[in-house]
Amino acid sequence: MDDQFDHRSLKVLRIISPNLIGGIFIILILLPLLIRNEYYINVLTICLIFATLASTWNLMVGYTGILSFGHQAFYGLGAYFSALLTMKLHLSPWLGLPLGGLFAGLLSLAIGFPCLRLRIAPYVAIATLAFSEILLVICKNWVSLTRGEMGLWGIPTFSDLVLLNLIPISFSKGAKIPYYYVMLTIFMVTMVFIYFQMNSKVGLALRSIREDQDAASSLGVNITRYKLTAFFTSSFFAGVTGSFYAHYIMILAPDSVFSVGEMVEIVAITLVGGIGTFLGPTLGAFALIIGLELLRGLKDYRLMIYGAMLVMVILLMPHGILAGIYQIIFKLKGAIGYGDK
Amino acid sequence: MIHFSILIEQLINGLVLGSMYALVASGLTLIWGTMKMLNFAHGEFYMLGGFGLYFGIVSSHLPAWITLPLVLIIVFLIGVLLEKGLIAPLLGRPGWDVSAVVITLGIGIFIQNFAFKFWGGDFQNVPYMFEGTVKVFKMNLAWHRIYILAITLIVIIAFWQIMKRTRFGMAMRATAQDNEAATLMGIPYRRIYRITFGLSACLAALAGTALAPIFSVNPWMGSGPMIKAFIVVILGGLGSFSGAILGGLIMGLTESLSVLFLTSGWKDLTSFLLLILILVIRPSGLFGTKEW
Repeated sequence: MDDQFDHRSLKVLRIISPNLIGGIFIILILLPLLIRNEYYINVLTICLIFATLASTWNLMVGYTGILSFGHQAFYGLGAYFSALLTMKLHLSPWLGLPLGGLFAGLLSLAIGFPCLRLRIAPYVAIATLAFSEILLVICKNWVSLTRGEMGLWGIPTFSDLVLLNLIPISFSKGAKIPYYYVMLTIFMVTMVFIYFQMNSKVGLALRSIREDQDAASSLGVNITRYKLTAFFTSSFFAGVTGSFYAHYIMILAPDSVFSVGEMVEIVAITLVGGIGTFLGPTLGAFALIIGLELLRGLKDYRLMIYGAMLVMVILLMPHGILAGIYQIIFKLKGAIGYGDK
Repeated sequence: MIHFSILIEQLINGLVLGSMYALVASGLTLIWGTMKMLNFAHGEFYMLGGFGLYFGIVSSHLPAWITLPLVLIIVFLIGVLLEKGLIAPLLGRPGWDVSAVVITLGIGIFIQNFAFKFWGGDFQNVPYMFEGTVKVFKMNLAWHRIYILAITLIVIIAFWQIMKRTRFGMAMRATAQDNEAATLMGIPYRRIYRITFGLSACLAALAGTALAPIFSVNPWMGSGPMIKAFIVVILGGLGSFSGAILGGLIMGLTESLSVLFLTSGWKDLTSFLLLILILVIRPSGLFGTKEW
């Protein structure tokens, strides 16, 4: 492979300035002013959900090098926990958001601990996938709590808010814009958190674990602590996102959150956008989800397309579409000295 | 008090189920042993086996003895083509074990949803290979279950002999040990990879054809056995053929005996608890090397 070249195109993706991130946030904040159509806002909200999920998965896989195939489990845990709290204990959904995340984060340690001993990626992949399958089995069979395959419905939505004692915000089923802003807030908090984490000592430690666990350990990096940190933070935010999803859609079924299909979607989005890059997963989420919305006839083939995308990206553009496009442009320009046989 | 005959019946069920897990798992372990990769599309080969049988016997009214080899050959070819087109290009790339794992996940979900879209999501029934039952020790034993046990036994012995005696088996073992050294000895290890992948797909498809009449044929039939097979290979030790066989039997027996205490929905949980237990106590499995 033309290694040197990949580095050059990757550099463009790795330079993440606060200005760029701020700019993207501002665009996302202003978008509903331009697009008033509820349907488009709904699509954008779903983009943000998957952007958050993919970014947190990326934190685990792209930055720390823990190959998890169980990310959907934490999403589902947050969703179910928050839904049940609000339905059975009548808690406010606003409280459900952090509690759902906390619950997902704590349970992630339950699978995190056994995974610590596993050195090679495929073992971790099996263990995490099995973990999410356990949850699926529990969710389907604990009928008295989760209603099993029948699913939960009538999940309460967010209660109305008065922002800064001035602006009343009401959450009704028809108006999608308030929900968009809630999800956008979750997304922005997640991204800012990941940004600061990856630029801190913790981030350095996480990356060193990815590069070489033994070397990191010999230099005094506490592998256990940092790996569990990665597990906790990434599943916390996945849980919060799940909780939002539950109160947004207001219906939950075991297969809609815990299925392997969700996982494939997250993996495909991350890889298409560029794994191990900060903005890659967000880019991938917007590109794939909006792309599939535009090609409406293909919507029935959604999972087939995600599967095929996954295969193509790994084969042809292992660093994501942006890097791939750069590569093609450079090749067309005839960048000499790179990629020669 | 559990009735004795029920216990025996569950034991036999466990053996039948376990031998199928063993077949599926030995395919996985074969790939791991030679190529050092996991195949998350393995369950879909199992599903293709089931659908192949359905198309052959139910849709085209072909006799079973033609359908079965035909299905196995087709699945073998699909496996070889997938390896050649999608997995071989990844070989030797840095971090290849991870990208190979992820690419098989993509292949798997593609095949599964292809089946769902084009062959439908209905649960299809396939007739037994051998109808009727036989009385053994006052118990009714279906011929089909005996057929399953026999098939597994034949396959295990055949594989064992191939690995031990033939040139191909030797080449495969050499590649598994060290593919560079094998290349120096004139073994085309790429071709060995390809055939291994095809054979592994064949084993999964064989299990699919054998179990299709007991469970029904549908696009999702492969995911359950595949996850169980993953647990079996970890239990037996990744890359160990005898570990996969023994692990499969242990798993089948545990599962069918757990039905005595649990309702069938919950019985899947026992295998996962088994997995957590192994990961905590002995991640290398029964016969595993220190690779984990």
